[in-house]
Amino acid sequence: MDIKHFINFSELSISDLHTWKEEGGKVAGVYCIYAPIELIRAAGVAQVSLCGKKQAPIKEAERDLPASLCPLIKSSYGYALNGTCPFFTASDILIAETTCDGKKKMYELMGKLKPLHLMHLPHTQQGTAPFEYWMMSLRELEDFLFECSKVKVSAEGLHNQIVLQNKIRNELYQIAILAANEKSPLTARDMLAIQESKSFAVFPDKYLARLTALRTSLATFLKQPNLPASQSLRILMTGCPVGKGSEKTIRITEELGARVVCMENCSGLKGMTLPVDETGDPHEALARRYLKIPCSCMTPNQSRLESIEEMVSTFKVDAIMDMTWIGCHTYNAESTTLQRFVEKKLKIPFLHIETDYSESDTEQLRTRIEAFIELS
Amino acid sequence: MGGAVSDSAHREMWEKLDLDLNAHDALLGVLGKFYGDIYLSQENRLQGAEYLDFVLSEIHGLRIKELQEAKAEGRKVVGSFCVFVPEEITLALDAIHVGLCAGAEAGSDLAEQLIPRNTCALIKSFIGFKLAKLCPFLESSDMIVGETTCDGKKKAYEAFNELVPTYIMEVPQTKSKAAHTLWKSEVLRYMAELEKVTGRTITPEKLKKGIRTANAKRRALQRLTTLRAASPAPISGRDALLINQISFYDEPVRFTAKINELCDELENRVESNEGIAPENAPRLMLSGCPMAVPNWKLPYVIESSGAVIVGEESCIGTRNTRDLVDESGETVEDMIDAIVDRYMKIDCACFTPNDDRLENVTALAKDIKADGVIHYSLLFCQPYLHEALKVDKALQAEGIPMLSIETDYSMEDVEQLKTRIEAFVETLE
Repeated sequence: MDIKHFINFSELSISDLHTWKEEGGKVAGVYCIYAPIELIRAAGVAQVSLCGKKQAPIKEAERDLPASLCPLIKSSYGYALNGTCPFFTASDILIAETTCDGKKKMYELMGKLKPLHLMHLPHTQQGTAPFEYWMMSLRELEDFLFECSKVKVSAEGLHNQIVLQNKIRNELYQIAILAANEKSPLTARDMLAIQESKSFAVFPDKYLARLTALRTSLATFLKQPNLPASQSLRILMTGCPVGKGSEKTIRITEELGARVVCMENCSGLKGMTLPVDETGDPHEALARRYLKIPCSCMTPNQSRLESIEEMVSTFKVDAIMDMTWIGCHTYNAESTTLQRFVEKKLKIPFLHIETDYSESDTEQLRTRIEAFIELS
Repeated sequence: MGGAVSDSAHREMWEKLDLDLNAHDALLGVLGKFYGDIYLSQENRLQGAEYLDFVLSEIHGLRIKELQEAKAEGRKVVGSFCVFVPEEITLALDAIHVGLCAGAEAGSDLAEQLIPRNTCALIKSFIGFKLAKLCPFLESSDMIVGETTCDGKKKAYEAFNELVPTYIMEVPQTKSKAAHTLWKSEVLRYMAELEKVTGRTITPEKLKKGIRTANAKRRALQRLTTLRAASPAPISGRDALLINQISFYDEPVRFTAKINELCDELENRVESNEGIAPENAPRLMLSGCPMAVPNWKLPYVIESSGAVIVGEESCIGTRNTRDLVDESGETVEDMIDAIVDRYMKIDCACFTPNDDRLENVTALAKDIKADGVIHYSLLFCQPYLHEALKVDKALQAEGIPMLSIETDYSMEDVEQLKTRIEAFVETLE
């Protein structure tokens, strides 16, 4: 199993980015899974995720931003300011989105650093008018992409990207299921790297082949007889996105002997079970799929509960940890609803952790998580 | 709000509305004292302030009785939390449009069981008032309308909806053509829903009348804004804020007439060079988040420091009164378009970009001859906290000093606020 390739994926992708750019390819930096990769690729633009998972640049960002914003926004903006994110440097354009108040206002400042397109999301998935509004937003994005790459998106080109990305999402989901097997050698931090890798894939075909190889070797590995089975508590993690640098909750949980077998957040499996319909008008199918993403920016957001319920059963989850960043109003607000749902309907233990990127609460978190694991 | 209230006459009504009578008594008691200290203690007040005192003393009394009587005649009451809910349509359907209680800490502890502790005080307050059974306007409402102006409210309405059915209007986050289209469909959806609730139908005549009534109210408030440009300031900022607050509760035609009378009195004052504060008192403008009744903390602290407030750039202030609906439309379609255009001019920090606000803030500060601006953000209100930094830069460019205040409804920071504001006022003198 070539896990190392995925562990070092973002570093490896920098050389891919160089190759891409040397051949004249354009690069779009994104922050969010609402960025429709199919459309971006169909416009001939490669997509990479931008840095925003570390504490270091936050101080710089606080000169321009309210200190009470979530660490993800402050870190992202800090990286953009201080020039230490190679992906930001490599990006010709930025694609942003109105998922929350903090981000939307931060993007007003970031737009002064690089050409930035703000995708306008509606606040709800219900009704025709919000959907039309979102369709219009994607059309505007397409115009913006054209200005950058001069590549016109064709229906066929978009269709091909849809098929490819559907396969990638499906492989990632299948890998997550195998990795959650009680006999699987993969840790949550391995899975974090694998799931994070999707946002740095400069060459999607090559990436898909790597994923398929990983899934096959993992499946083969698991077929071996007499593998030891883990008895650890199986935890589903949900809430705000986590990545390399902001994974302290996962690290602590694993150090305490529990297993994070499933990550429902947008850096994990959110949207992985939502394929784009491959029949019919590709633009409309794309808009429908992206609007279905169960993000807390939507009201109501019932499908997040449904998605979690499904994952609890698929991944044989014993307990749920909801990790939200301080200052993230929407995920923090959903935590109350989610807790009631998990305790009353799913009848499994639930723990809400509100934290930031600093290490100052590490010991306190350890105590809380330890108690939670003991009681679960 | 306190002693003057003919409590016994209203108790039966409050009981019918299922208010928590003991908690409500306690609330009115505190508010009565608060009002006495902050309002009745002012010297040289206008005669027209009697209207304000009366409305406020009967805000949970006679006004609620009026609502109940209107309801008995088959009219409906619409409760809202935001200036985006188009009052013109409510009025055109012969319904009553009221703002809902959101300016006090009462019930906030209960609210924290449903929404995060680090939610702004305004949101906690309206949830708290419902849970603690303290708001007779809420309990009188036939339709409660929320809106997606910020993350906190948008998600709080989900929790609120479990307590009482809440209709949500989708406010877009920008002012593009697509956003106008979306907002128009939302205005039409509100109209259709309210037609259902009231059992009445919109006609061009009724809508025209609704537009005129709402515009007349805004014109009276614009008149007040203009008169406050005079030096010495003819009215205290506290009283002006109260007028804006009452505009969300009282019957609009009566309110307009009373405020125009009050403005006549102000005109006389201005002519005879009479002021509420000395001519050399530093003139401050408030800018930022709305101050709902009875959130008078900051104005009180400011005016106790020797300054006078001459303008409020907020939803309970010029943001709600600056723009009128064009009155020339003859068909429902034309008038709806005019309403859509007017509401899309609101320079709420929920929009991106929202550069109009920077222009509006600086223009107002100059118009009313403000020596300085106090930017007020509720704790955890990310849109206004963010814009505070931009407003500061825009004002600096015009040579107008600004102080940024972040606070909530509690009294814990009053001393700290006093110190900061007094220091700021000193630099202006």
